[in-house]
Amino acid sequence: MSEFDSLLQGMNLILTPGHIGLMVVGVLLGILVGVLPGLGAPNGVALLLPITFTMSPVSAIILLSCMYWGALFGGSITSILFNIPGEPSSVATTFDGYPMAREGRAAEALTAAFSSALIGALAGVLLLTFLSTRIAEFAMTFSSPEFFAVYLLAFCTFIGMSKNPPLKTVVAMMIGFAMAAVGMDTVSGNLRLTFDQPALMTGISFEVAVIGLFGIGEILCTVEEGLVFRGEHARITPMVILRTWAKLPRYWFTILRSTIVGCWMGVTPGGPTAASFMSYSIARRFSKNRDNFGKGEIEGVIAPETADHAAGTSALLPMLTLGIPGSATAAVMLGGLMIWGLHPGPTLFAEQHDFVWGLIASMYLGNVVSLLVVLATVPLFASILRIPFSIIAPIIIMVCAIGAYSVHNSMFDVMLMLGFGALGYLFKKLGYPIAPLVLAAVLGDKAEDAFRQSMLFSDGQLGIFWSNPLVGSLTTAALLMLFWPLISGSIKAAFGWRARHSIKAKTL
Amino acid sequence: MSNSSHSASLIGTRWVELGLALFTFVLGAVVMSGSVEQGIGWGDAGPEPGYFPFYIGLLLASASLANGVLTIIRWKPLSISFVSRGEFRQVLSVFIPIALFVCAMPFTGIYLASAVFIAWFMWRDKVRAKPYGLLMIASISIGAVLASYLIFDLWFKVPLDAGPLGDLIATAWRSLK
Repeated sequence: MSEFDSLLQGMNLILTPGHIGLMVVGVLLGILVGVLPGLGAPNGVALLLPITFTMSPVSAIILLSCMYWGALFGGSITSILFNIPGEPSSVATTFDGYPMAREGRAAEALTAAFSSALIGALAGVLLLTFLSTRIAEFAMTFSSPEFFAVYLLAFCTFIGMSKNPPLKTVVAMMIGFAMAAVGMDTVSGNLRLTFDQPALMTGISFEVAVIGLFGIGEILCTVEEGLVFRGEHARITPMVILRTWAKLPRYWFTILRSTIVGCWMGVTPGGPTAASFMSYSIARRFSKNRDNFGKGEIEGVIAPETADHAAGTSALLPMLTLGIPGSATAAVMLGGLMIWGLHPGPTLFAEQHDFVWGLIASMYLGNVVSLLVVLATVPLFASILRIPFSIIAPIIIMVCAIGAYSVHNSMFDVMLMLGFGALGYLFKKLGYPIAPLVLAAVLGDKAEDAFRQSMLFSDGQLGIFWSNPLVGSLTTAALLMLFWPLISGSIKAAFGWRARHSIKAKTL
Repeated sequence: MSNSSHSASLIGTRWVELGLALFTFVLGAVVMSGSVEQGIGWGDAGPEPGYFPFYIGLLLASASLANGVLTIIRWKPLSISFVSRGEFRQVLSVFIPIALFVCAMPFTGIYLASAVFIAWFMWRDKVRAKPYGLLMIASISIGAVLASYLIFDLWFKVPLDAGPLGDLIATAWRSLK
């Protein structure tokens, strides 16, 4: 089995004290950004990017990916103890996690959350281990039209499947594309959309947008809600851990179902947030303890957490094999890969064998390290949230400003960050999604190249996107996804489901 | 919030929706005009540089327009408050200092601006029963700045703009040596 050999090779590569130390640092930083309001996995990774330029790509990706796992874990700490989701994807964990903490079962809730998260994550990595080479090999046969169709599918899925209004998703996405177009045109070398402003010549970096939109925007929203962190206390003892673990096998079916939901949503660009919500609502519908949901049901913690992490890890599958990230954080990492001079996509598996398998191996180890670190440090990180907002907020803002500055060593970027911060605040309040903007900003150039090349092949005929069965079905699937809200709406209307559904929703 | 002046609505959601739609529309128009400058047609080497961005701008502008129309259609239900006066004052009380901090940075450098920013934020916090002592304020603001110097500048070799003051300290340090 060649995957197994490659995995062993990867393990060999990463099992050095230096790399394991990086994992622990990454996880700790990740939990920190996951716990702190205003900092999350996407902008944590964006803030760390400048630091990784001096590292080898393998070390850099270990640091960044472990930060991602840490942030996913850290998000559940605040959800359960403080009823504040540190990450959008852990909102669903608050529904039952916080009531459990209120009942004095915080340690049990945390252990259940972390353990099921690990199971979900490992399932995602298994998927990655055994599917990625095959998908990459398959994708080797792709040429520009196929690649553009895959991009189109990813973007249309975002529009059609998003909880946000489709038109607002389009607006956010197009702003991202427009950002990517600013600066040097990769084909002709012309300066585009710079309007003779020297500051715009280097383009608008997606890192700056991420830091502003997620970081500053989040802080402004937090301030407006006037959040006071009043949390429950938790002490995790080995006894509680063992007792909770003994309970987990009872929920094997919930875990299995949530894993499948998570992996599916991670591979398709639904992302962890959608996955955790979907998994929670399915669990509530089918559980025997349906009535206890929302009042402190352990199944209501297990379901979203498993799906969240399964989606988080499997989001790396399309990122590595096709160059399409399944979540905002994966998008930022993809940007990092490109900055390090790697080309995400099928060729990565052939050209950067060590890098890919080092990363996959580090995902196994990194998630186990995350579980151990997070179990040991919960009280420490919970106490960080008790630091007054007037101390923590300016420090977060300073870190954001430094992060934005260090992308290009430019003060203009810091100003831009402020602008994006204001935009992020409005976006969040008016229901515009941010993730598609980031995705488009990172992928814009590649999507454009694929489109232009396809147009060159076909002399400007759009028919090329239906020129063979593969590209044709991809494009058709993309269009189906794009118009899914209309299609599903008309199907429901035709069968008169909508009326019954709305009555049901009201009674719920 | 029970206080009526605090919960009084500052602006209806519909106006903000409309404003943002207008903003994104203008953005789309700017992108379109910038693309037209570069040529949006078919040149000797295939599509011209503005070819792709033009349609991006077009989509952005038309989606914004549609958002604006949707807002007008749902004019009544969108009359709900976007933000209350009290909440907005809270937001501004953080946003304005951030803006000043960012604007001061090119002149003072990152370190000095950050230290002053953190100190001011702590000093202003009157919600607490006991205000922070001067020593506490000084140690946290200087400590945070020092930590960022150590981490970014020394450890990871990411140079941060120290501004005129930082340069002064650096020359003084060199001459002392």
